[in-house]
Amino acid sequence: MPRLPTSLLRKARAIDPLLPRLLGVCRELRAAQNELRWLREYADKIARGRSGKAHRTLLRGMVENRASGKPLQYIVGTEYFGDLEIKCRPGVLIPRQETAASVTHLTHLLRSAQGLPDELRVLDLCTGTGCIPLLFKHEFSDAPHPVRLRLLGIDLSQEALDLAKQNLERLQEPDVDDESSVINFLQADVLKESWDEQTVERPCIQAALNFSRQPQFWDVLISNPPYISPSGYWTTTTRSVRGFEPKLALVPPASEGATDTDQGDTFYPRLLTIASECEAKIILLEVADMKQALRVANLARRLNTCTGIEIWRDQPDQKSGTEHQDGFPVIGTGNARSVLCWRGPGAAWLGKEDELNVMGAATDMPLSLQPQFTYPFVESSEDSRSSYLEDRTMHNHRPRGAYKLFEAGRQLVSQDSKKK
Amino acid sequence: MTSTTTPWICRGCLVRLARRPARHHVRFLTQTAAPESMPPALVARARAIAADHKQLTDKLSQGFDARAAKRVGEFSSILHALQKWDQANESVAELTSLIHDPTTDAELRELAADDLEASRTALADASQSLTTSLVPVHPFAHLPCLIEIRPGAGGSEAAIFAGDLLRMYQAFCNRNHVRNTLLKYENTNGTQEGGVPLSEAILEVASDGAYGIFRCEAGVHRVQRVPVTETKGRTHTSAASVLVLPSVEERSLGEEDVEDPESDYYIDPKEVKTEIMRARGAGGQHVNTTESAVRLTHLPTSISVSMQDSRSQPKNKEKAWRLLRSRLAQLRREKREEDMTAMRRSVVGVAKMGRGDKVRTYNWGQQRVTDHRSGTTVHDLDDVMAGGQTLDKVMESVRGWLMEKDVEALLAEESLTKK
Repeated sequence: MPRLPTSLLRKARAIDPLLPRLLGVCRELRAAQNELRWLREYADKIARGRSGKAHRTLLRGMVENRASGKPLQYIVGTEYFGDLEIKCRPGVLIPRQETAASVTHLTHLLRSAQGLPDELRVLDLCTGTGCIPLLFKHEFSDAPHPVRLRLLGIDLSQEALDLAKQNLERLQEPDVDDESSVINFLQADVLKESWDEQTVERPCIQAALNFSRQPQFWDVLISNPPYISPSGYWTTTTRSVRGFEPKLALVPPASEGATDTDQGDTFYPRLLTIASECEAKIILLEVADMKQALRVANLARRLNTCTGIEIWRDQPDQKSGTEHQDGFPVIGTGNARSVLCWRGPGAAWLGKEDELNVMGAATDMPLSLQPQFTYPFVESSEDSRSSYLEDRTMHNHRPRGAYKLFEAGRQLVSQDSKKK
Repeated sequence: MTSTTTPWICRGCLVRLARRPARHHVRFLTQTAAPESMPPALVARARAIAADHKQLTDKLSQGFDARAAKRVGEFSSILHALQKWDQANESVAELTSLIHDPTTDAELRELAADDLEASRTALADASQSLTTSLVPVHPFAHLPCLIEIRPGAGGSEAAIFAGDLLRMYQAFCNRNHVRNTLLKYENTNGTQEGGVPLSEAILEVASDGAYGIFRCEAGVHRVQRVPVTETKGRTHTSAASVLVLPSVEERSLGEEDVEDPESDYYIDPKEVKTEIMRARGAGGQHVNTTESAVRLTHLPTSISVSMQDSRSQPKNKEKAWRLLRSRLAQLRREKREEDMTAMRRSVVGVAKMGRGDKVRTYNWGQQRVTDHRSGTTVHDLDDVMAGGQTLDKVMESVRGWLMEKDVEALLAEESLTKK
């Protein structure tokens, strides 16, 4: 990192004596001025009614804290995610604006869609602060056609889930009739297969869904999983991220024999499997860069469960020229940020029905297009839309397989309580 | 031989003399009502509009387009008039060919001659209505208007007369049930008190189309009478100026109509470039930046707005949009005001404040009102000053004159574009 010129520091000091301290982390005078203003506003808020000296001490403390690299979001306690102010706390990843841009763009595509189901189900894996389901609901609150939403955020960390629930309470408008949409948060281990040993703290997703009587089938799957490889963690992340944000949310766990890159991509095969198990029609996965985006897109193409794959950049809502990478359309401006896959009615919801899709040109897909059901009693039909309707009716009577799992979960709990 | 002897005239000459007046008379009529009286430029314009109309109706049959529908509505009256004119023209041509044909018998020829008179008047009517429909409606004719009255040359007598004019227009509005409010009234003492000579008055006529009605009143109105302030009984000539302005302010749209393309505040999102400033580098989970600045650039005017107040990027964006909207609206308002001043100047240019360039004279001694533009003279001065029907008559004549002027201008413009 280049040394800050003395002239800049002098200039900053002339504006405000606290500014030079912030320049170290902000690197730019304009950014430092903004941060100081926000810190001052926050100090004004919490030190209201106290003496000027207390206020000054408080502000100086916060500036020192910030200068040590602590993210402003942790000091102030909130971060804006789209239009929402989300509560942040050390130990839980701070929501990123790029994620908000992708989610907002997706909701804007879906809001005006025709033929959405009566209840749109959205599953968010590795939810963290719960920002994605909350923003999703918020963006749908003024949709042209009211849609009932069922949103579920899943995370491994209890700390994150507590914070997510707090955020839900904070943003729940008490006077609005919330019959129309439901948000829940569940603890589960996304990486755990259903045949692995289950524990109450870390059940697999299927068991967790069954245990909490959540549906097995979801329309939209969104995830911002840990995606940084161990080497990337030391080279590409900023000091503030390394020093203060949880590594759990950034770097996937190590597994035997996996290369550095593979470890970074650990979550994606599992996420795509879950997506096909829960019959997701739209899948939005955040990635680190174009290389990872292409790896994930190629993986999805190999799995052959999606009819269309797109790569979105940081601002997918901004039109750019038609660009293709490896045969995948790339949308928006900025860094490659997420991979969008769709299939079945998802194409119609996104308005991509008439577009020539990548998969269709490459392979003949009739078999692969058929929904893959985990439970043998559902007959797969040729028309994905009719199978989708079947799936809708399925929700009413609980599938037998799910019931078994549910029973298993209950036994686990009873065993656990006996131990105690 | 007496001195009163008439000179000898040959019989043939006498016969010709006897016939000539009759023939002259007939020729005179043919000249006024002949089809040639319709200027070819106007006919060509009407034909072009008819072609346009056909195209537009074809377009409308495929799908509805608000703008096309509006234009079709505007053109339909022209089309109708053109059809009538064509019919009348045809019948006249047919009848004349019948008369000139040596094979037609005398009785039929007589009948045709009778019919010819009727169809010629019909043709004249059709020409008139076609001309009227072709003359462009004044762009502000549909608007409400402001009438400003100020005394001109002539001292306090002019001020008294200005007050008389104001009362005349108020009475005219009341008689015609047109909503009017006095926006400003100031007498020569600088107070609002009535009865004292007027120094400035602004009358707002709030009904739609008022500008079309009162447009003809703009100019210098001259008065010739023995003023009440005169002690020696001499007749004075004074003047008051009348300004008629379309009132656009009431119709300008506010900030709430952001979606309305007519509004000052409307911006086509396609014309705006949005830039989001972020920290350099990988982004995403790698960086926890607090950058939230947004910069918008309106490409046609290259006005740029950047906003970084809030930590929330959408909020900054929203604020930037609001700022950009108000900046552009300001720009548009300024431009419109400039146009208005230009128009106002042109109006005032017509109404120079001297006694010479008068548009109308009110003569008390002869109880006469003469409009110098249309050349109309009426003698019921009291009815005019009371805003009665005689004033209607005068205004109607001026509107006719204005229309004639407009047709002339249109023709001049058309011949100019032809070249």
